[in-house]
Amino acid sequence: MRTEELITQLSRGLKPVHRLPSPLAMLGLWCLFCAGVIGAALLVSGLRADFAAWLMDGFDLYHLMSAALVALTAGYAAFQLALPDRDQRWALLPVPAVVGWLVTMGWGCLEDLARLGPEALQLGISLPCLGFIIGLGVPMTVAIVFLTRHAALLRPVPVAALGGLSAAAFASLGLTLVHELNAAVMVLVWHGIAVLVVTALGALAGPLLMQRAAV
Amino acid sequence: MPTPPVTGQALSGPASGRAGAAEDDRVTSDLVWDGLAGMSEAEERPARDARWSQMMARAQAGDARAYDALLRECLPLLRAICRRRLSDPAEAEDAVQDTLLTLHRVRATYDPARPFRPWIAAIAERRALDRGRGVARGLSRHTVLEAAEHVGAEGDAERRLDAAELRAAVGELPASQRTALQLTKIEALSLAEASARSGMSMGALKVATHRAIQTLRRKIGKEP
Repeated sequence: MRTEELITQLSRGLKPVHRLPSPLAMLGLWCLFCAGVIGAALLVSGLRADFAAWLMDGFDLYHLMSAALVALTAGYAAFQLALPDRDQRWALLPVPAVVGWLVTMGWGCLEDLARLGPEALQLGISLPCLGFIIGLGVPMTVAIVFLTRHAALLRPVPVAALGGLSAAAFASLGLTLVHELNAAVMVLVWHGIAVLVVTALGALAGPLLMQRAAV
Repeated sequence: MPTPPVTGQALSGPASGRAGAAEDDRVTSDLVWDGLAGMSEAEERPARDARWSQMMARAQAGDARAYDALLRECLPLLRAICRRRLSDPAEAEDAVQDTLLTLHRVRATYDPARPFRPWIAAIAERRALDRGRGVARGLSRHTVLEAAEHVGAEGDAERRLDAAELRAAVGELPASQRTALQLTKIEALSLAEASARSGMSMGALKVATHRAIQTLRRKIGKEP
């Protein structure tokens, strides 16, 4: 087929399209959705028992804020990268927030170590914790993959991975409100593993889902 | 004071300071635009950029004529980008077509507040890169075509074209092969039923079907 004929065919029967909202507007939509999901999780599980005391604790507040920052920057980067003409360097946007997140968790570990001694390093297995982030993060990843489905033919993998990271960070945020963990090491390890799993799932399965959603 | 005749230099000065014009695809566009020097004499780059943005905005609103004209105007740019990445001209032309199909599908992602050229150039770069990697031949092209099927309800352009191509190729098959294909693959009859209907032996049907498919594959899939 000649290219000129293809153009004729493409323009014949052209349908109007709704222009995509800006990345910022998409981020707003995404945040609203996540807030809804976390709200629903709170309704089901209830706030953590030590919520008031926990609010006073500076470390957890930083931890919370850095997780929120990861969620927002990764989400925004995903919406930017989903558009054809945006710079690839958007992918680096969440890096400082991720580093900050790790630092707050690492700092928490050191504090625990100073307070409790070697006992703090004892690693319990917190499957509910892992399950919560993955259980919440995966459906949320599906949602952001749907929101960025137009990236299917452009750069699906980084977009889906960033979407997964944003979803996992939101899920981890939700978990912090629901579940109390007594040692920062546990937070670091279990949140870290869960976030990695969700991000990797996003990167692996996201592009396929995008193709499906876009068709 | 009479205004001096407009020259390329006179226009490019103030134009290059235009906000947002400093897009990140300079690598692509400068080379390509040098190649199109003959065309850009007629119309300066910023003016054309603005016009392309408007045309694309109209295309998003459903203006088929603006879309048709825009794509035709962009063809030299797309060809230049694809040929720079792909030495085989046929492969490059395939990449141009991939680009057109992709941009058709993602046309909602264009923001008319931004320049059009980086948007279309980024898509062309990506499709040319895919072709270059050899990924495109099997997977991507298939995906693009398949995915492009849903573009426009009555305008399923690619599908119609594919169907027309396929029909033409089937029409050129020998009668026995055509019958075999019709009965075994399209009507999905069993070999016994097809044999009863056509009077051909089951062995002959098998061979004819196989040959028909080989021929079609050669004609539609592999031909440059």
